[in-house]
Amino acid sequence: MKMGKARLRWTGITLTVFAVSICLTVTGIYGAKNPFESGIEKRADIIRIDSMKTFGRLERPPVTFLHQKHTEALAEQNKDCSACHLVENNLLVTKFMRLKDTAKQEVMDIYHANCVACHKETASAKQNSGPVVCGECHRDRPDLVSIWQPIGMDRSLHYRHSKAQNEKCERCHHQFNEVTKKLYHAEGKEGTCRYCHKEVTEENRLSLRLASHLACIDCHSKTLAKSDDAGPVTCGGCHDPAQQKLIEKLKEVPRIKRNQPDMVFVRSTKSGIKNSGPVTRMKMVPFNHKAHEDYNDTCRVCHHANLNACVQCHTLQGTKEGEQVTLEESMHRLNVNMSCLGCHEMNQRNPKCAGCHAGIPKTRQQDPAACQACHMADGIQVAEKLQYTDEKELAAMYLEARQSLTDMHAASDIPENVEIKSLMNQYGAVKLPHRKIIQMLSNNIKDDKLVAYFHTDKDTLCQGCHHHSPAANKPPGCGSCHGQPFDERDQFKPGLMAAYHRQCMECHEAMGIEKPVATNCVACHQKKG
Amino acid sequence: MSLDERVEFYQITKPRKDENTKEKIKFRAFVMKKSFAINNKNLISKKRIAEVEVIMSITRRRFLGWLGVATAGTTLGKTANAASNKHFSGYPNSMGVLFDNTRCIGCRKCEEGCNTVNELPAPDVPFDNLSVLETRRRTTPKAYTIVNRYDTVSNINVKGPLYRKVQCNHCLEPACASACFVRAFTKTQKGAVIYDSSVCVGCRYCMIACPFEIPTYEYNSALEPRVMKCTLCYPRIVKGQLPGCVQSCPTEALAFGKRTDLLKIARQRISKFPDRYVDHIYGENEMGGTSWLYLSAVPFKEVGMREDLGITPAPKLTSGALSGVPIVVGLWPVLLTGIYAMSKRKEKIAKQETAEAVAAAIAQTNAEAKTKHAKEMEQVQKLKQKEIENAVKKALEEAARPEAEDASAQQPEEADKKPTEEDS
Repeated sequence: MKMGKARLRWTGITLTVFAVSICLTVTGIYGAKNPFESGIEKRADIIRIDSMKTFGRLERPPVTFLHQKHTEALAEQNKDCSACHLVENNLLVTKFMRLKDTAKQEVMDIYHANCVACHKETASAKQNSGPVVCGECHRDRPDLVSIWQPIGMDRSLHYRHSKAQNEKCERCHHQFNEVTKKLYHAEGKEGTCRYCHKEVTEENRLSLRLASHLACIDCHSKTLAKSDDAGPVTCGGCHDPAQQKLIEKLKEVPRIKRNQPDMVFVRSTKSGIKNSGPVTRMKMVPFNHKAHEDYNDTCRVCHHANLNACVQCHTLQGTKEGEQVTLEESMHRLNVNMSCLGCHEMNQRNPKCAGCHAGIPKTRQQDPAACQACHMADGIQVAEKLQYTDEKELAAMYLEARQSLTDMHAASDIPENVEIKSLMNQYGAVKLPHRKIIQMLSNNIKDDKLVAYFHTDKDTLCQGCHHHSPAANKPPGCGSCHGQPFDERDQFKPGLMAAYHRQCMECHEAMGIEKPVATNCVACHQKKG
Repeated sequence: MSLDERVEFYQITKPRKDENTKEKIKFRAFVMKKSFAINNKNLISKKRIAEVEVIMSITRRRFLGWLGVATAGTTLGKTANAASNKHFSGYPNSMGVLFDNTRCIGCRKCEEGCNTVNELPAPDVPFDNLSVLETRRRTTPKAYTIVNRYDTVSNINVKGPLYRKVQCNHCLEPACASACFVRAFTKTQKGAVIYDSSVCVGCRYCMIACPFEIPTYEYNSALEPRVMKCTLCYPRIVKGQLPGCVQSCPTEALAFGKRTDLLKIARQRISKFPDRYVDHIYGENEMGGTSWLYLSAVPFKEVGMREDLGITPAPKLTSGALSGVPIVVGLWPVLLTGIYAMSKRKEKIAKQETAEAVAAAIAQTNAEAKTKHAKEMEQVQKLKQKEIENAVKKALEEAARPEAEDASAQQPEEADKKPTEEDS
């Protein structure tokens, strides 16, 4: 009897503990669930169907439509694009089951009748199907997040396309004839699609989105019908960042031929150099167009609006079509990659360069020596010489005659180690591997042409640390200028301790050098023993 | 030295004749306003004296004038207060510190420097142990300053974590000082907000008032607990030395100097490296401005700093309510005395009117009584005249009959006439 009571009690206790633990587990799982992080699906194929807004205010929330999900489902049923898209002039129409947005009721009926009918049909075939009730399509979808990325044609992709099309440019490139209202191919006037196809559809001109989907997908799908080697036809194929990385990128891309010069003078007037006269007092810039093609993925990085010479829009005074950006600014504006200085400055953000350059403020105003690295040709001399030679050849001559720095100081001229005997009350001396640092820096940049032309002197590299003093074989040490901190007479100059620490630490951080860790004092300072 | 002292003085003395009472009224109102901010005392001190003297009586016009003067005295005084709409931008040449989180490496040397120069007890975790950065810490009675680590993403130029140094910000108009009713806190000319434990009563209002949650309390000290916070190393800076934390910072992430110069340095850094900083100097205007200033690579809330504080100094937030005090203290006695005087006058007039009415009533009654009496007398006389005439007639008739009887009847007639003459 007693035994039975005890057993009953223990069973009760065990059951309670069990029940409580289950409760805790359940609340643990669901209670800790963050509604913003879990259950979020990343997709590149999200389309908001809000076509009805052309007929006025939307009565219900727009439908979030997953395009790729539908193409995949239809493929299983052996249906293709024509299940949803009509064909006009041998091209698919991007609108759903119609050619045009006719009337409100009509368009609404097209969606409701066709969507719901197909969903019902699929459901009756006992397959996974879509909603048939209003609120299940017309709702916000906070569980979906778009990872859609734009895609563009780069030089590699362009070469692969032109090769596949047997270099028949007219298959893609076209112009619009205003008179005949027809597309035609103007040879030698090809340009990037987005020069004409802008954000939104205008008269006689499709939006970039519409044009690219019509042309690209149509061609890709037709090619796919013939062979396996075709471009993507699904949303993710072009717009999913992960799949974008899978697109083959050629290392060596032959030059795109579009009558562009190899070497050229940057013009300051539309009329050309021969007729320009002494319009600009600046020395002229010979420009290696061919080399710069290789440095960039696309032409449109620099030629952002068309393939004409810069001066066509950016004149000395600025024009309306050039948005009043003057020639000077178009070449020197910072923080944009379409100007010379802007792009060169972005190159300085490369960790190899950033060690020194991150600490140098970015300014339009340059050192006169740096100006002359580009502005090298005296205008009057150029005009004289042009009487005997071709402009392009003359530009090439100037560029060849340009000085570039190829060597550094001999290792024996560089002090091997520098002992810094500061903070000796707390630590031992710091042994700075002076030569090793310089050799590492110069090795990093020895093949860089930008460096070769702009580091004009053997001592330029030294000035990364030995700054604010003239380039010299034996530059002053840090203690020559930096002393006590917070001197009221020169507030902007750091004291010696900060000068050392910041010079080392900020360079290491910018170059991504992780060791020694900034907070590990004895990694640099010897322990006092 | 910016002693803002202003005294306003109004005096009106006008003897005047009252036409009704024909008595002299002497009225004198004396309002003195004195308001000053003393720099070596904590904040604003207000003193207001209203003195009123009423000698005899008062008219409504006098009273309203008087009220006007009192109101003007109360409201005008506000402009002289430090906690007014005038912006106090700090003592000239006061010192400050600029913290630049793009330069901070999170080494805790500032904590160590603070501990050493202030002779604070040894920390729970040694200063070379950086594992404490894993948790969010706050200032304690044993640590006037601490460093916290923040992993941020909003600036692509920031590769590692960012750090925030926490210590007293030494507000230009400190909330702790305005909340302290014994003036234990002092904003010094040097910029430091310092604390005097000898007057502290331990109410800890300062801890509640501080928007940065800086002052801490020695809860574990049973006998003489103190409020503990950073002093900007006041004893050191008056000697021309650097604060402990600034002195030990290896990268000058902490820059010490005049606050005005620090603002210039901060602006210069932002303009030189616009990608590196957010375009804001924290502390330039926050809570009316602080002696500590901050530069950051990311919005300040991402490194745990409050962005909701606004630019109003804490004392100004309470000045609205406190400005009611002089009205209550100064105006109410005036008002109440006035009301008392007016009701007194009313009573007096009523009394006088009653007396006059009574006198008039009595006079009227008397006059009425007189006329009544006169009428009655007239009637009586008339009746008597008639009687006499009748009697004369009768006597003549009788005389016509016997002459003897005539002679005897004439004697009483003359005797009756005499009293009638006396009455008239």
